[in-house]
Amino acid sequence: MSLRNQPRRVPATRGSALFRLRFGFIIIAMVLSVFGVRLVQLQGLDPNSYAARAAKEGTDTVELPAERGAIVDRNGVELASSVDGLMIVADPQMTKDDAGAIATYLADKLGVDYFATLDRLGRDETRFQYIARRVPSTVANRVIDALEEKGFKGLTTRRDPMRDYPADDVAANLIGFVGEDAPLAGFERTFDKQLAGIDGKTTYEVGGGNRIPLGANNTVKPVNGQDLQLTIERDVQWYVQRVLREGVRAAQGDSGTAIVMNRETGEILANADYPSFDANEPLRSPKEDLGTRGTSDPYEPGSVEKVLTFSSLIDAGKITPRTRLRVPGVIDSQGQPIHDYWDHGDIRLTAAGALAKSSNVGTVLATRQFKSTELGDYLKAFGLGQRTNIGVRGESGGKLPDPSTWSQLSQDNIAFGQGLSVNAVQMAAAINTIANGGVRVDPSIIKGEAVTDSGQKVGSSTTTTHRVVSESAARQTAEMMELVTDPVDGIAPGAAIEGYRVAGKTGTAQRVGSECGCYDGTFTVSFAGFAPADNPKFTVYVVIQNPKNGMGGGTAGGPVFRKIMTYLLRKYGVPPTGAPATTLPVEW
Amino acid sequence: MSTPLPQSRVRVQRIAEAAVERARLRVVPRLSPNAPRVPFVTLVSVLLLAGVVGLLMFNTHMQQNSFAATELEQQANELTSRQQTLQMELEELRNPQRVAEQAQALGMVPSAHPAFLRITDGKVLGVPTPATPADRDDVRPPAAKKPADLVPPKNVIRVPADSKAKTKAERRAETKKQNRSGRNETSTNDQGDRSPR
Repeated sequence: MSLRNQPRRVPATRGSALFRLRFGFIIIAMVLSVFGVRLVQLQGLDPNSYAARAAKEGTDTVELPAERGAIVDRNGVELASSVDGLMIVADPQMTKDDAGAIATYLADKLGVDYFATLDRLGRDETRFQYIARRVPSTVANRVIDALEEKGFKGLTTRRDPMRDYPADDVAANLIGFVGEDAPLAGFERTFDKQLAGIDGKTTYEVGGGNRIPLGANNTVKPVNGQDLQLTIERDVQWYVQRVLREGVRAAQGDSGTAIVMNRETGEILANADYPSFDANEPLRSPKEDLGTRGTSDPYEPGSVEKVLTFSSLIDAGKITPRTRLRVPGVIDSQGQPIHDYWDHGDIRLTAAGALAKSSNVGTVLATRQFKSTELGDYLKAFGLGQRTNIGVRGESGGKLPDPSTWSQLSQDNIAFGQGLSVNAVQMAAAINTIANGGVRVDPSIIKGEAVTDSGQKVGSSTTTTHRVVSESAARQTAEMMELVTDPVDGIAPGAAIEGYRVAGKTGTAQRVGSECGCYDGTFTVSFAGFAPADNPKFTVYVVIQNPKNGMGGGTAGGPVFRKIMTYLLRKYGVPPTGAPATTLPVEW
Repeated sequence: MSTPLPQSRVRVQRIAEAAVERARLRVVPRLSPNAPRVPFVTLVSVLLLAGVVGLLMFNTHMQQNSFAATELEQQANELTSRQQTLQMELEELRNPQRVAEQAQALGMVPSAHPAFLRITDGKVLGVPTPATPADRDDVRPPAAKKPADLVPPKNVIRVPADSKAKTKAERRAETKKQNRSGRNETSTNDQGDRSPR
């Protein structure tokens, strides 16, 4: 305050105060306008690219991979599981000089091909080469650490999730496999949406390899995939696959299918196909072995279908097991002769005998009491001609000709299982209907509920039931089927289990060749049955395609059936019921 | 409000003279200009220093924690993958195929005749029958087929039927004779190169 009262004399060279003030303002304005222009340039014209560049500098984004759900059997045992894996990659510019030593070590520890690795490690004009993929991370880290200790640099690891199938080929046809980036077959593909989950990611600021505390951090948590539970039981599946393989090889067949079904729930305990493949090495097997033949390749069921015909006849009140049939050696059907598999003159069989001895002529005779579409309607109710939709990829519904278009010949043929085609699950479910007192339960292979890639809900909790034949018709049919495994009267004593009442039916069907579209002289042999006959627990169905040593359904399929059923009865502790065996007459 | 009344010569009010007298401004004695400044400066300096050091330590600590977190995270990842690898090995050991093969190696076969013992009355259900080696299941995969490339083509040499057919022994005798007598180089070659390659 006191200064103001004593103004200093300003030298004239600096100009007047006003001038200096204005000059200063102009300078400041110019500088500020430069800032302003820059501000507009940064914020107005292209703010995002600058923001992105700023973010890129010093921030790190890490993908948080969602863990792929496991595929487990009915007891929670893993059939397919995800394991943290790593890929080992090399920078050849750094490994070139020591390629020999590194390749030797890697070939020794990881089992990679020495020469291929040597070549990759020494390549010019590249800085990235895959050395090994899908290595368990502990193994990969151990190898890389050991190499670094030896002074070899240039090898790094990257994330490479592995899918492991601990039981190799067990249920491989159903489960499928995962390729390098995407699931390629089976349940892995059908239920990928559920199994895969959603990857998350986290972005954070880094400095010197460490997260900067209190720095910007943005995390989207991954949603892990959900497990898929099957109704399959691993041990049963394994045993069925082995026994089926033995059976198909003994019969010198091309392929085979075996299905084990829980009688009451319709849950499939095992669904084996042979030839199968190792899910850990799918590319080592031919492509045609990678699917589920039993459901994708329909075939004519042959005499096993007679079970359905006879139960329909009994249900409709047309016959009883004791109905007397006078069976000639041959019967005419619109000019076509129908024979039995053995030569005979006129014989006197009961209806039960016709089934036990698998007489085509007897079956045709009995079925001719059906008018128009009756048999066709029954077969439809048994589920033939419609897909079972259990969730197995590429299921074929088989073919049941429209009943309204049947001629006498087609009804006669269909009555003993020719002229229509089925898949193995369909047929197993149809036989299971008889075991289950005439009520058909939808088969299922997924425990609970799941949605397929085509948006269909499948699983054991979505199944429905409906009555096809009366309980007494089913019971009488089961008694008739018991005769099939009878050591004296039946044609498949090899399927009998001592001490148990076993109901079964053989099938030997002519096969339609893929080339000529006609019966080409090859056969499909099969055996379906359930035990104990008076209170069934399981239905087992075995199919062997094109056996080359002349075996029929009883000789080829029967022993396989017996082994599987024996295993099931023992494993699940099903004692014999102790009831006396059936006393139905075969002849009169 | 608390502004003191302007001094006025005219004393209008005499009522609250004592209060007015008390409220009258007085000159405050000047603070001693040479009050000691050292304590204050020291206090501020100490505060400043403590702040800076504290902040530094806090920061260092945070960094340390960050290092530790990174390390622990890495360790957790390693342990997770180790657990998974071990789980995988365990599953490998529990593979039914392996178990079956080991059981077979011990000479075990599955029982082909299910039978049960009912504990309540000691009754045997089913037909108990001892298992035999014939009940053995073939659990090993069949040997891989030999690729067609590895099967050598059959080298069939058709020998024209000789009217004067000689027995093997005769031929051998003849060769011997030739070798001994003539040392004919071609003769041995003719006969020796029969085997298919």
